[in-house]
Amino acid sequence: MTFLEIVEGPLWTLASSVFLIGAAWRIFGIIRLGRKKDISIPRASALLGAIKGQFLHFVPHGGFSFRTRYHLIAGYMFHLGLFGLLIYAAPHVLFLKENVVGFEWVALPRWGFILTAEIAFTGLILLWIRRISDPVMIQLSDADDHIGSWLTFLTMLTGCMALQESHDSLRAVHMLFVDIWLIYMPFSRLMHSVTFMFSRGYTGAFFGRRGVVP
Amino acid sequence: MKRIVFHRLFGVLCLTIMLGMGVMSGVAYAQQSGAVPGNTTGSVNDSEFWRSIRQGGQGLVSIPNKTAGIMIQSEGEEWRSLRNGPLSTYGGYLLALSLGAIVVFFLVRGRIKITGGRTGRAVPRFSQPERWIHWFVASLFILLGLSGLLLMFGRYVIQPIIGKSAWSAVASASLQGHNLLGPMFVVALLIMLGVYMKDNIWQKGDLTWALKGGFLSKGHPPSWKYNLGEKSWYWLLFFAGLAISTSGLLLDFPWLVERVQQLQLAHLVHAGAAVVLIAASLGHIYLGTIGVEGALDGMTYGYVDEKWAEEHHGWWAEEAMKTRGDVIEGAGETMPPEKAPAE
Ligand code: HEM
Repeated sequence: MTFLEIVEGPLWTLASSVFLIGAAWRIFGIIRLGRKKDISIPRASALLGAIKGQFLHFVPHGGFSFRTRYHLIAGYMFHLGLFGLLIYAAPHVLFLKENVVGFEWVALPRWGFILTAEIAFTGLILLWIRRISDPVMIQLSDADDHIGSWLTFLTMLTGCMALQESHDSLRAVHMLFVDIWLIYMPFSRLMHSVTFMFSRGYTGAFFGRRGVVP
Repeated sequence: MKRIVFHRLFGVLCLTIMLGMGVMSGVAYAQQSGAVPGNTTGSVNDSEFWRSIRQGGQGLVSIPNKTAGIMIQSEGEEWRSLRNGPLSTYGGYLLALSLGAIVVFFLVRGRIKITGGRTGRAVPRFSQPERWIHWFVASLFILLGLSGLLLMFGRYVIQPIIGKSAWSAVASASLQGHNLLGPMFVVALLIMLGVYMKDNIWQKGDLTWALKGGFLSKGHPPSWKYNLGEKSWYWLLFFAGLAISTSGLLLDFPWLVERVQQLQLAHLVHAGAAVVLIAASLGHIYLGTIGVEGALDGMTYGYVDEKWAEEHHGWWAEEAMKTRGDVIEGAGETMPPEKAPAE
């Protein structure tokens, strides 16, 4: 079995299982925590608040300072770039077709792929820089934040290093980082990619019931 | 005139050869010891014909890309020998020299400490945008520098160790990474040069700093926000950085040029300027981290210790403390305890 076969075969199966089981476990944990009985008099719908909460937090409100703007722009660049790459980069479409879903869809042209990667890289680097040069963020960031950022960065970097698509070894290294990234995810804050809906829903419902926009 | 006639004749001949290989093979019997048969005009014999191709002669082609009529681009040989010869050799020496100078400087001068330690009072030095653009450019510079150095020296240093096939993968990875990150650096560099230009413009007193010994002086000659050493770094970054960026964009988007020779020139400029900048950046990074105690605070927290400011940038410190006195209060609240101002 070659290195590529290992990282795309058994290790990929292991990594995606760890991710799926880990994510399910985290969600189960959150639901099991339950919430205290809310004795406030309901002034409006909690459910509506929970739904509103999902969307309201896509845009910042209040305190629209330079810091927020920086965070907002860098955050969107990184996340949109990353999703664009994950779902629409031609090699990913092929991989997902062969290993996950069984069908394919329209992929980005090569220039679009590169541009999206550049946008994602810019966002990610800006977000990490904020951690090392904002006095507050320096204090707030712990090892998990840095490991999460670096793992994501290395996964993306090894991907772009394999862009020539001419060396199996480079593709294997990229895949190795994908596997490590997936395994690390449930144990880290990277899990916000799944849990964000729950936190937004919880806050939304809490304030929604009180008739307040969260 | 003779040259044009030759080119025309040669072109006709080339076209004939390209389009009519079959016919040519048919008449080959008529040739005697390499001579062109019958009344054909053009090269007298095969060796002249091939020599002309070898020397970069251009034939005629019927496709829009006329340069495709050049079978061997012979200037490429000069470029190749410059790249693999003097450029790599002297580039390597320059980097070694820079590293050596840093080691000697460290051995002679040691870490430049804040005399008497930190006072605990802080002076604002770099704003958030200034810090962010600095680190963004620096991050990309490091990634591009490392991948660029691999491309330039890897075949001499890494290939003998890991073998040709593994090296080919490393080289491909370096090139792809380098090409992708390059354009991001160009945009960021332009922003950075704009943000930092104002205080890097020549001021009266800069030369005095240098004449008093600059970094080598033990007496801390006063300077403005940036001393002449830092200003030189900025302007080197300005000129070399722009040269690297322009040439790099041409290499990334080769259809912007008409002739491959322009790309070869762009490559030499790119690699030459990059090696100079990387050599200088080693000194900058040394001084920004180990070399000068307290310098890094400015680029991370945005504040520097008052004593550091007075010692390293006396004239600037005077002004900064006068005009921005209000900000100094509470500056240290965001710093870790060991760097925070005393109560
Ligand atoms: C890890 C690497 C680096 C470190 C630790 C570092 C550190 C620093 C520090 C501490 C300063 C502030 C100096 C002061 O207060 O006077 C500074 C300024 C500056 N740095 Fe860096 N730096 C790094 C890489 C780079 C790179 C790669 C570039 C350019 C490509 C760069 C360009 C500049 C410029 C233009 C300034 C403004 C001062 C001037 O105009 O000379 N730095 N750096």
